Amino acid sequence: MSEQKQQWGTRLGVILAVAGSAVGLGNFLRFPGQAADNGGGAFMIPYFCALIFLGIPIGWAEWTMGRYGGRKGFHSAPAILGVIGKGKIARYLGVIGVLIPLGVSFYYVFIEAWCLSYTIEYVRAMFGGAAVGVEVGAPIAQQTAASGAHFSETIGRSGHGSLFQDGIAPIVWTFLIVFAINIWLVKRGLSGGIETFCRYAMPAMAVCATFVLVRVLTLPDQGDGRSVSNGLGYMWNPDFEKLFEPKAWMAAAGQIFFSLSVGFGVIVNYASYMKKKDDLVLSGLTASATNELFEVGFGGMITLTAAFVFLGLAGMADAIAGGSFGLGFTTLPVVFAHMPLGNFFGALWFFMLFLAAITSSISMYQPTLAFIQEALGLTRGKAIALVATLGLIGSGWCVWFSGGMTALGTIDDWVGTFLIVVLAAVQVICFAWVWGIEPGMKEAHHGAYLRIPRIMRFVLKYVAPAYLLIAIGSFVWNDIGKWIAALGQNVVARNTIFLVIGVTTLLVVFTYLGEKRWRAAGMDVDGEREPDEDRIATKAGRS
Amino acid sequence: MTTLGILFMIGSLTFVWGLAFWCYRKVLTAPPEDHVVRPPDSLGG
Repeated sequence: MSEQKQQWGTRLGVILAVAGSAVGLGNFLRFPGQAADNGGGAFMIPYFCALIFLGIPIGWAEWTMGRYGGRKGFHSAPAILGVIGKGKIARYLGVIGVLIPLGVSFYYVFIEAWCLSYTIEYVRAMFGGAAVGVEVGAPIAQQTAASGAHFSETIGRSGHGSLFQDGIAPIVWTFLIVFAINIWLVKRGLSGGIETFCRYAMPAMAVCATFVLVRVLTLPDQGDGRSVSNGLGYMWNPDFEKLFEPKAWMAAAGQIFFSLSVGFGVIVNYASYMKKKDDLVLSGLTASATNELFEVGFGGMITLTAAFVFLGLAGMADAIAGGSFGLGFTTLPVVFAHMPLGNFFGALWFFMLFLAAITSSISMYQPTLAFIQEALGLTRGKAIALVATLGLIGSGWCVWFSGGMTALGTIDDWVGTFLIVVLAAVQVICFAWVWGIEPGMKEAHHGAYLRIPRIMRFVLKYVAPAYLLIAIGSFVWNDIGKWIAALGQNVVARNTIFLVIGVTTLLVVFTYLGEKRWRAAGMDVDGEREPDEDRIATKAGRS
Repeated sequence: MTTLGILFMIGSLTFVWGLAFWCYRKVLTAPPEDHVVRPPDSLGG
C-alpha cells in the first residue's frame, strides 16, 4: 500500500492514536513531582491556564497544518511546513519535526524495554520468582538503595558496554523484542497497525490504572501519619505562595507542553491523513482531554500517594529528587514490596507504563517513515527497512552507552526537551504569522463539530509565540552555555551530539532530494495555491 | 489533607473527568463525517 493511500479508519481511532502518542511515562511519573514541587493543588491554576491557553490552541494549529498539508499530498513536517511557511526556510526548519520523533525513539524504546522487563519480573515474582531486589525487613533507606542498585544493574547504568560484558544482558533481548514489535506495528500501517493497537491499548491502560488507583486509595493506614489522606494532601494541599514565583508558571507550561506532545512532529503527521471534512477541533480537544484524564485523574492520584503511605514525609524528598526514573523505577518498587498483593499491582503498574510507552513510540517511527517515503520515493517496504536501520543504530547507541544514562540523557535534553520548544515556535509562527490566523482558522473549521473561541486567535498570534520565544531566549541566556560546557567534559555526550548532527545532516539531504522530486512532480511545494486549485490544476493537466 | 486540598483535588478531577466525558459523548454521538453538511465559512467566523 502506498503511503499516500493510507488513512485513518475511524474518528475515534485517530483520537486514540494521538492520545496514545501523548500519554507516556511523564503523565504518571513527571507530573506528580512537578505539582508537589510547585504548590500542590495551587499548581493546578497555572497548569490549567497553560492547558487552555497554550497546549490546546497550539495543538489545534498543528492538527490544522497537518490536515492542510495532507490535502496537498504531503505527510511530513518538512514538506508541510514548507507549504505553511511558504518556502525553503520553513521547509528545512521542518526537519526538526522528523528529527525529534526519530531522536526520541532512540532512547524511548530502550525505556519501554525497562517497563516490560519490570513487568516480567513482577509476573515471575507472583509465581514465586525473585522480586526486584527489595528486602522488606530492611530499613527503608537500605531498601531504596537496593532497589536503585537493581535498576542500575538492569539498565547497565554502571558503565558503557556493561550490558554486554558477561554475555548479552536480558534487557538487551527485551529491547530487541520491543523494537521488533514497534516496527511490526508500524509496518502494519496506519489503520491496521497504529490505530488498531491504540484502540485496544488505551482502554487496557485505563483499566490497569483504575485497578492500581483503587488499590492505592484503599491502602490501610501505616501509622505515623502515613495514610492515604495525608498522601493525597502531600500532592494536593495548595501552597499559594508558590504562585508568586515565575518558576511555578514556567513549570506548569513546560509540563503541559511536553505532556501533550505539542511541538513533537507527530500531530502534524497524523493529521495529514485526515480528509478535508474530518473534524479536527473536537478531535484535538478530545485527545488533549484524554491525556489530562491520565495525567491528573490517574498520575495525580496514584504515584505520590502510594509513595507517601509507605515512605512517609521523610522519604518523599528523596523520591521526588530522584526524578521520573528514580520515582518510577527505584521508589515505586519499594512501595510495591510493602503493598498487599504488591507483585500483582507492580506487574499491572509496569505493564500500564509499557503500554503508555509503546503507544508513544510507534507514533515516533511513523513521521520518519512518511518522510522517507515521500522524500526519496521509496516503496513502503524499503522505507520501513531504512527507518528500522536508523532506529536500530540510534537505539543501539543508547543501549551500548548506557553508563550513567549518558547517551539517553543527552538526546533527551537536546532533542526531547530543547528542540521541542524550538519546533513549536517554528510551527506557531508559520501558522499565525506566515500563513495567517484567518486562513488558518477557516481551514480548522472545515467539518468542525466545535467552534474555536475567538480569543484563541489572539492567543495563537501573540501569547503562544511570545511564551515560546521567551522560553527559548531564557534557556539560551541562562543554560545553553552550561549545557555546551557539559558536553566538553564528557566524550560520550559529545559523540552523542555528533550522532544527532549526523542524523540531522541525513534528513537535510533527504529534504533537498525530496524538494527536487516534489517540484518535478508539479506539487505545490511553497504553498502558493489552495488545495482545491491543486486538484483543478491536476485535472486540467490530465485532460 | 486540608479542606482546600480536598477542594482543589475534587475541582481538578471534576474538570478533567467532565471534559473527557463531554468530549467522548460528542465524538460518539456525532454523525459520520461523510454525512455532515455544514458550510465551513459559517463556522469560521
